[in-house]
Amino acid sequence: MLASLWQQLSDSPVPIDSVDLAWAGLAPVMILIGGALLILAVDSLVPRRLRPGSYALATVLLAAGAMVAAVPLWQRVQDAERGPFATAAGAIMVDGFSVFATFVILSAVILAALSFDGWLRREEMDGAEPYVLMLLSASGGVMMASANDLIVMFLGLEILSIAVYVLAAMHLRKITSQEAGVKYFVLGAFSSAFFLYGIALIYGGTGSTNLVRIATYLSATVLGDSGLVLAGLALLLVGFGFKVAAAPFHFWAPDVYQGAPTPSVAWMASGVKVAGFAGLLRVFYLAFSTYRLDWQPVIFVLAVLTMLVGSVLAVVQTDVKRMLAYSSINHAGFILVAVQAATAAGVQAALFYLAAYTFMVAGSFGVIAVVSRKGDIGTSLDDYRGLSRDRPVVAFAFALLLLAQAGVPLTSGFFAKFYVITAAIEAGSSTLAIIAMITAVISSYVYLRIIVAMYGAGDDVPAPRTIPLPAAAGLALVISLTVTMSVGVFPGTLASLAERATPVLIPESDPGAVDPSGVPPGP
Amino acid sequence: MDDLLLNQFLLLGAVLFCIGVYGVLARRNAVLVLMSIELILNAVNINLIAFGAFWGSITGSVFALFVIAIAAAEVGVGLAIVLLIYRNRRSVDLDDVAEMKG
Amino acid sequence: MLPTLLAELSAQNVVTTPLTQAVVLPFLGAIVVSLIPRGRAELHRVVALLFAVGTGALTLSLLAGFDRQDSGFQFQVNRVWISDFGISWHLGIDGISLFLVVLSGFLFPLAMVAVAPSHDPKPYYAWLLVLQGGCIGVFCALDLFVFFVMFEIVLVPMYFLILGWGYADRVYAALKFFIFTMFGSALMLVGIVALTFLNRDGVVEANQARVATIQSEMATVQASQGLSGPDTPVDPAIAASLAAGEARIERLLNPKLNFDLVTIAESQTVTDTSTGASPFDWGAARWIFLAFALAFAVKVPLFPLHTWLPDAHTQAPTAGSVILAGVMLKLGTYGFVRFGLYLLPEPSVFFAPALVTLGVIGIIYGAVVATMQKDLKRLVAYSSVAHLGFIILGIFALTTVSIEGGVVQMFNHGISTGALFLLVGMIYERRHTRDISSLKGLQKSAPILAAVFTLVMLSSIGLPGLNGFVGEFLVLVGSFLTRRWFTVVAAAGVVLAALYLLWAFQRVFHGEPDEENADMADMNWREGLVMAPLLVLIVFLGVYPKPMLDRIEPAVARLVSHVENHSDYTEPAVATTGVGVDAPGEDGG
Repeated sequence: MLASLWQQLSDSPVPIDSVDLAWAGLAPVMILIGGALLILAVDSLVPRRLRPGSYALATVLLAAGAMVAAVPLWQRVQDAERGPFATAAGAIMVDGFSVFATFVILSAVILAALSFDGWLRREEMDGAEPYVLMLLSASGGVMMASANDLIVMFLGLEILSIAVYVLAAMHLRKITSQEAGVKYFVLGAFSSAFFLYGIALIYGGTGSTNLVRIATYLSATVLGDSGLVLAGLALLLVGFGFKVAAAPFHFWAPDVYQGAPTPSVAWMASGVKVAGFAGLLRVFYLAFSTYRLDWQPVIFVLAVLTMLVGSVLAVVQTDVKRMLAYSSINHAGFILVAVQAATAAGVQAALFYLAAYTFMVAGSFGVIAVVSRKGDIGTSLDDYRGLSRDRPVVAFAFALLLLAQAGVPLTSGFFAKFYVITAAIEAGSSTLAIIAMITAVISSYVYLRIIVAMYGAGDDVPAPRTIPLPAAAGLALVISLTVTMSVGVFPGTLASLAERATPVLIPESDPGAVDPSGVPPGP
Repeated sequence: MDDLLLNQFLLLGAVLFCIGVYGVLARRNAVLVLMSIELILNAVNINLIAFGAFWGSITGSVFALFVIAIAAAEVGVGLAIVLLIYRNRRSVDLDDVAEMKG
Repeated sequence: MLPTLLAELSAQNVVTTPLTQAVVLPFLGAIVVSLIPRGRAELHRVVALLFAVGTGALTLSLLAGFDRQDSGFQFQVNRVWISDFGISWHLGIDGISLFLVVLSGFLFPLAMVAVAPSHDPKPYYAWLLVLQGGCIGVFCALDLFVFFVMFEIVLVPMYFLILGWGYADRVYAALKFFIFTMFGSALMLVGIVALTFLNRDGVVEANQARVATIQSEMATVQASQGLSGPDTPVDPAIAASLAAGEARIERLLNPKLNFDLVTIAESQTVTDTSTGASPFDWGAARWIFLAFALAFAVKVPLFPLHTWLPDAHTQAPTAGSVILAGVMLKLGTYGFVRFGLYLLPEPSVFFAPALVTLGVIGIIYGAVVATMQKDLKRLVAYSSVAHLGFIILGIFALTTVSIEGGVVQMFNHGISTGALFLLVGMIYERRHTRDISSLKGLQKSAPILAAVFTLVMLSSIGLPGLNGFVGEFLVLVGSFLTRRWFTVVAAAGVVLAALYLLWAFQRVFHGEPDEENADMADMNWREGLVMAPLLVLIVFLGVYPKPMLDRIEPAVARLVSHVENHSDYTEPAVATTGVGVDAPGEDGG
């Protein structure tokens, strides 16, 4: 039967174009997806359980492998002669921006996988599924960061999200985990639907889903009625706003962060946020830069709201995961400040912030995963009292990560905030810079409350308890702390990488590469 | 395809979209919420196909096929989560699922 | 990676300069201390002391090597840190910062010797060393960015010191301290960044003339070749020179950002553009000054922003209070001098009346509230508010003598208030109370302590012949020329200071000791060793302040002429002759 089908196909009067794929450009995504499927296959085929930790190791190796595969891509796109290139008929763009985001997302995978290992064993849930889901989710994130077509952007978003819904609801014996899952799912699917509707409207308004072609169309044509495009843009912003937890689309974040398994939250707060912002930057900067004056004020308002909500509401929380959920909203607001600048410095600041924040937040949730008790409970502020005595090193590392989030100098968080407000002031938004710094002070109160709980418990310290520190979680903590502190002293390397990732996008005509607008090259 | 005909499809899409949004916001039964989300996605499909016909390109139809596949995956995961909650609580009412406050 | 980095740094001469060493050595010490295993409690103390004393010795060597004739910045080091943003590791000291660096150099080891922590020595000493490095860094920084980093970084160790080793209400006090100061500096960061951008615009503006020259030169060359417009000349040499001209224009019109304090302050490209049409029609420079002033006013603390200070001082461990009063409050007053008067002279002159008013309110308010205190430590804390008001008055009276007095007073207040906090700490250690009413007749049970207390207290009151007098006298003399009535009110503050301190002394030390106070131990030799250098300085600087004034005066005179050059302010002629320089020494001696 297959043979006859093949016969029919090859006899078909219309020749089917085979799409020209530059496989090297897709290597990181392929490694992630292939690796995930391989782990899944091994897990179902091997009769007895593998040694504990082997899935985590495999995940870390796969992510590292994908990083290695991305290095030549970085070299290629930075090479003045070769430059960025598009592949998959112009649907995927490999440029400095996408490769930088890929690196950050893969780092988040590594940190979250290290954090998962000990946590899963403590919860007696050790298995391949969380790692597989995270790898798939990461592949979606990488696709979003390199999407040059709204269809691919949407596919990436869904691959990213669906896996994360499951990661949130994963804890079978914990009702709040399922609550988190269902809330995240309903709101996430809802926002994806908005996103999709936005894409449809933009497609209707411009006749294309390809970002470069949209940009060309919009700069060449003066639309008599831009309502369709603007409405589509607004709906896209709603979709991205949900993913990065920007106010007023942040409602899910505190509940989901509190209920979901802590290592999953580490991934959500780092990788998912990076992917969301990468997509946002790409769509708004690449396709809609001509509409800058329309979206800048909207992002301005979103940024102010997000920073205020994230800092003010965090103050009244008593659960550490909830506190950090609100603080992550505040950080999203800071990144929006950079996005609002609509300059190369803004992109650089946003990328720097995302990279720095990934390590800070993944490390912080790594600590929370370690300190919590079996059943994934014990995340209230009271559970941190006396931590400086029970686990002085962990407490100190956590304090440093929290201070980094507060933006204290000699940590990466300080430079992240510095670059953001520099970009904002350069773009003439001093007001935004002032509001941003004020909210940074308000949210530093939250971090100090956690530090106070760890260090200033006073005389009524609870009885000492032993807190096991799994080796993998310790390694994750060391990595995130090392990056946070060394970037805090010598930010130049990361800043120049972020700078080299900014000249996004529209490549010069390169005969060897596929035209990014997806039109096949002429004869 | 002329503008008048396109507008009729768009209107249908918009109405379906609004019904779906209303359903997600107003319904407390998890299964009905899932259905409402499906409704929104289908509203988008109508839009995509109409726009595709308007611009005379197949992109819209191809995208609609992608959306159908993704919607199936999404609902699969959604139903699984709802089932999990039903097993624990014997209820699929979203208002019952409110352990966390703040 | 680290060895190559170190090699690179030493190749750039960064490591070998004394200022870098003085800033980095304490940080290094903190790292070393935190690497020592937890069990070796004594080792922490010894190693930390070694590093602190080493830093102190370095600062003293700076004092010895300081050229008193030179009014500019000495021991400068200037290396690129973050090239994209024009941020460089630029350090240097002049007469104004020299003594503050020395103060941070020797007050830290003294505080370490004086009090051993009750628990957890390792983090205690590590934080103290970080604090020392940060404080010295603030006083040495000649780059806005480096200054801000150091200014912010000192919050963290002080926060942890109060939180970890403070008294009952430490959590509240530590939080309040951190939030207040962080709020102040948050806006300063915006101000700094805005200033650098405005400076860049100003540089572009200033470069226009040169750009025009180059363009006309290029036009001449082109014309001589008989070319017009974009034609490329045939002669490669001429083509190259034209290209070079283009490149120069490009560079002149797109200068890099620059965070260098000296460059920005000397060029004064950011000028005030206010038209005076309405009261708040200020140019950017004034708003930027306000952003800086807020940060410094919190640190000083100026009157309405002072509420964190009594809490922080009272709850901090003794060493913390000593450092807080002795060094950290000076970060604010020093900031006003360096980043107010020097960096933004025009706005400083504009806001001087307001700041002088706040300073004088602080003098009276601090004194009155101090009189009402029941807690000895809180009383000393409020006396700091009053003393710092004097310094602010001196700085913003804008005469050479008054600013000189302010700088002298910064150093002297560090010594006498630091010593007072040490003494209060000693009393608390013995009696476990700081309540004035439950202390009585300590003169009988601890005569040496009482004698030392008397001397330090008299220095704090400003008795002629002791160091406190020199600063206050210069401030009053200098301010009288420009701010007569404020000076009169401030002089009343001196009387009030005598009142509350003597009254407190009377209640605590005089009378017959009751049962609890009768057997209080006197000072031991270790405490005496700590107090001795402070007492020597109190007397020496009171009797013979000339060496100190000689080093401070050139820098201050230069600063005042800088202010005059860049604003419409002119110093009254009488004040420039340096009336007060020798007078107090002769009067007191």
